[in-house]
Formats: sequence, structure tokens, C-alpha cells
Amino acid sequence: MIKARALKKNFGEFCAVNDLTLEIRQGECFGLLGPNGAGKSTFIGMTYGSVERTAGELSVFGLDPATHARVIKKRMGVVTQENALDESLTVFENMLIYCAFIGVPSQERHKRVTDLLEYMNLAHKKDDRILALSGGMKRRLVFVRALLGNPELLILDEPTTGLDPAVRHLLWGKVKELRQEGTTILLTTHYMHEAEVLCDRLVIMNKGKVAAEGSPAKLITEHTPGHVGIYNFDSREELKSLAEKKDFIFLEDSSGIYLRASRMEDLLSTGIPALQLRPANLEDVFLKLTGTELATDA
Amino acid sequence: MRETLALSTHIVRRNWTVYKKDLIANISPTVADPALIMVSLGFGLGGYLTNVEGMSYMHYLAPGLTIATSLFTSFFESSYGFFVRMTYENVFKAMLTTPIGAREVVLGEMLWVGLKGAVMSIGVTIVLAIFGMMINPWLIPLLGIVGFLVALPCGAMGLLSTALVRNINQFQTVYSFLIAPLYFLSGIFFPISEMSAPVKFIADCFPLIHGVRLAQSVFWNRDIASTFLVHGGILVVQSLVFCGFAYRQIRKKLVQ
Ligand SMILES: Nc1ncnc2c1ncn2[C@@H]1O[C@H](COP(=O)(O)OP(=O)(O)OP(=O)(O)O)[C@@H](O)[C@H]1O
Ligand SMILES: [Mg+2]
Repeated sequence: MIKARALKKNFGEFCAVNDLTLEIRQGECFGLLGPNGAGKSTFIGMTYGSVERTAGELSVFGLDPATHARVIKKRMGVVTQENALDESLTVFENMLIYCAFIGVPSQERHKRVTDLLEYMNLAHKKDDRILALSGGMKRRLVFVRALLGNPELLILDEPTTGLDPAVRHLLWGKVKELRQEGTTILLTTHYMHEAEVLCDRLVIMNKGKVAAEGSPAKLITEHTPGHVGIYNFDSREELKSLAEKKDFIFLEDSSGIYLRASRMEDLLSTGIPALQLRPANLEDVFLKLTGTELATDA
Repeated sequence: MRETLALSTHIVRRNWTVYKKDLIANISPTVADPALIMVSLGFGLGGYLTNVEGMSYMHYLAPGLTIATSLFTSFFESSYGFFVRMTYENVFKAMLTTPIGAREVVLGEMLWVGLKGAVMSIGVTIVLAIFGMMINPWLIPLLGIVGFLVALPCGAMGLLSTALVRNINQFQTVYSFLIAPLYFLSGIFFPISEMSAPVKFIADCFPLIHGVRLAQSVFWNRDIASTFLVHGGILVVQSLVFCGFAYRQIRKKLVQ
């Protein structure tokens, strides 16, 4: 569905996407993870032609976005990272004009918009101005906007930023439902749990490149297998020597100390009380591969 | 091409939806400004100038005022208006995820300012005709065409400056050094023949002077066909050239 090979994008001297190769298959939910500035949104921009690539190959639906952007855009819906809602128009007007842009027949527009607003619990806001919506409501409205054209490919650039847990779950439900119906989904998120819940496969990007690729479970077993205990700094020395002795992975950052062992019992048997004990997850993989510092923010 | 045109009309419709929400506030200055000039300069200064090219000063001034209306309507819409939509409201970021591309954005904007220029010119002309400024009021619709033809290149100049300014305050510079000189040196307030050759040459490169000639021919009912052929033709060419430049620059802003 989307194929990138040695894809590159420079902004002047700065290289935002560097030698990116990946494939997103028909019908899957594909995650694109990476720290701020990794090049996720830049890559997404390239898929619909609003960012021009510097080098490499890219095809969407087998077409080149540099030359066939319009055909491609007819078949996809995008939740942009910025809401970019038209603040001069009301909620309903926003959606209606958008229907016109994407070619929804005029007699169907009213119903399509009403149904989707209903689904996202926004029906009561339909005549409000955009400025009168809360941050989470705007986000939901952007989701509605992306779905108006019944897209085959849905691109979600941090769709759940600023949503409360209930709405986030509602949105996950909708994404799963769409995937069930055969929609291909490309998702970026900074919530590792969200990626684990939704994605069949994902890549972790760093500095414009793919750092790792695979299913969430595979990435965890490959890069950070086992269980993690999180501790406060009080027993730092004790934990450190313990890690060396028993071959645990010892990691510390400003938030606390992380100890990783293959089994939960290994951590329990240390006798040192942990703030939290849990199986390793995608967050551990992410931090391991992309580093914990902000050094990546060039 | 047909699809491009259809998509552009959706942009026009979007602008109209916004515009009509504040219709009175949007229209009144466009009509009030020429009325003010007519009263102050026409009645005031006109008392001293009783014979300009064989007519009263008010009659001389009237056609130029409709063109000034078209200039300001289109320039402000495509400079400040477009800049705000592009930079602060991020309207195009979402639009560009739809089948709309940079080409449709520019064409839609051009259509919109053209229509606005046409409607505003007709509006002002009707007011002026009521004051008896037109020899043949049946020709009022022609001023719609003139307003359209002037608004296109002037709107393109606005778009071009939108692409080139670094922040919204810089439009003031464009206004002071380009728009205001054009306004005062394009034969609206005094006959072009009074100007020096270099000034005249520069003025000829811009749309205003040709629009003024067209409006004068219609208001005064003089050589309408030949004026449209020459100055109308020049305006069409200027529109294409300015729009071409504007598209190239705006595209760089919309597509990274
Ligand atoms: N128009 C631009 N001009 C110059 N640099 C840019 C431009 N757009 C993006 N960049 C740079 O490219 C890099 C990648 O940006 P991008 O928005 O793709 O990151 P991201 O992975 O989406 O990050 P985030 O998680 O913060 O959204 C950043 O360093 C950014 O500063
Ligand atoms: Mg981003």
C-alpha cells in the first residue's frame, strides 16, 4: 500500500528523513514511532505530496505522490498533527466544505456529517464555532474530518494527543473497527501502550532512519525481553551491585532506576521494594533504541 | 483541468461562506471609502477644478474610484487575508490533504478576488451612477468585467507579496512603496498625460492604469471597443504573468 525505499528529505542543510525504507501492507495497522523530530510527520507529508522528497522512491497505492497526489488523496484520509480546523466556520460548516473538497455527493453530505458527529459525541456541538471547542473535541472533529470520505488508507498523526482516557478508548475502538473492515492504517503516537494495542507491525524511527521493525511482541522479545522493576534513587548503590552480580540490566534516568531481569521472580527475590513491577513493554524498547536524552532534538 | 476548476470553486464557496457572515461590516468600507473621496475631493477640490479634460472634476474622478475599489478589495484579500488563512489559521494544511493542491488554492483565490472585484466595482458604480456620473448607466455591467480584470493581477500581486513577506507587518511596506504609488500615479486623480515619461512607463507595467482607462471609456462612453481590445488585452496578459509568479512562490510556501 505504501512503499518507501531509501527515502530522503532535506530541509536546506538539515536532513529530516534519511534513507528510510519501509512497507505498509494492505489491511494492516502500521505504527510509526520515534522521538520528537524523528521525521514521522515529514514522512507522512511525503505520502500525499505536501512535502517533496529529496531522493529515493515512494509509492502509495502503487502511484508516485510527486506526480499523482490528487488520485492518491482521493483514497486516503488524514488526521493531521495540527488540527488545522477552519476557525472562521462552525463545526458543521467545516465538515460540509470538507465533504465538497473530497467529492462527497452533495445529497449525501448532510447525513454523512451528522452520523460521524454523532459517533464522536460531537452532535451537540454542531453549530458551535471552532474556538468554542475544547482541545479534545477539536481532535475528535479532526478524526471525523478524516473519515468523511470513507478512505481506504487512514493516516493518523498523533490522533489521541490531548484526549481523555474514555475518548481515547472510543477512538481505539473505532480504529480497530475500521481495520476489521479492511482499512489500512498508518499511525504515529507517543503513547507506547496505544501502539501495542493497535498496531500489527511498527517501526521505531530515530534521526530519520528506521531503528527497529516488527510486531510489538517481537520487538519486545528482541530488544528488551523480561520484566522491569522501577525503583527510586534510595537504593541506587545496592541495585547497581546487584545488577552486576546477577547480570540484570541496570538503567537510570531522571525519573528513576530501571532494573530488567528475565523473570519477575528474579526481581521479587532481591527484597528491595519496587515502585512498580511489570513485564517489559514497548516503552522500554523505545527508550533503549532512541536514547533517553533529548540529544536527538537537533 | 475541469476538476481543478471545480475544486477552485469550492474554495470560492468556502470564502463566501465566511465573508457573508459579516456582510455589512465587510462591504461598508468598500463603498464608504469612494463615497468619502467623492464628497471631499469631488465637491471640495472640484470647486476649484472646473475643467479637467473637458469635464467637471467629479466626472473625471468617478471612473478611477471604481478601479481603486477593485484594487484594494483584491490586494487586501490576497495579502492580509490570505496570509492570515495560511499562517495563523492553517486553513491550507488540512485542505492539502484533500484532492486540492497548490494550483487549486491559487486558482480559487484568484477566482474569489476576481468575483469580489467585479461585484464591488459594480456596487460602487451604481452609487456613482445615481449621482449622475455615468453618461450611459446601461453600461454598468461592463464595469463588472473591468473590476474582474483589474482584481486578477492586483490579487496576484497580493499573493506574491504574501509569499515574499516574512511577517504580516511587512505588508505595510508593500503598501507604501507599491500600492499607494500606483494608486496616486495611475490617472485616477489627474490625467496621466501630466506625468513624466519614466513614471508613465513604470505605471504602464502595472494593472491599475489600464483599468482606469477601461473604466473611463465606459463611464464617459468613449471608444469602448478599442479600449477593451488594447487595455483589456494588456490586463489579461498581466494577469497571466502575475498569477504565474504568484503560483510559483505560493507553491513553495504550501509544499515543502
Ligand atoms: N518546513 C520545515 N523546514 C525546516 N525543517 C523542518 C520543516 N519541517 C520539519 N522540519 C524538521 O524536520 C525534523 C522532523 O520533523 P517532523 O515534524 O517530521 O518530526 P516528527 O517525527 O513528526 O516529530 P513530532 O513527534 O515532534 O511530531 C525536525 O527536526 C524538524 O525541525
Ligand atoms: Mg510529527
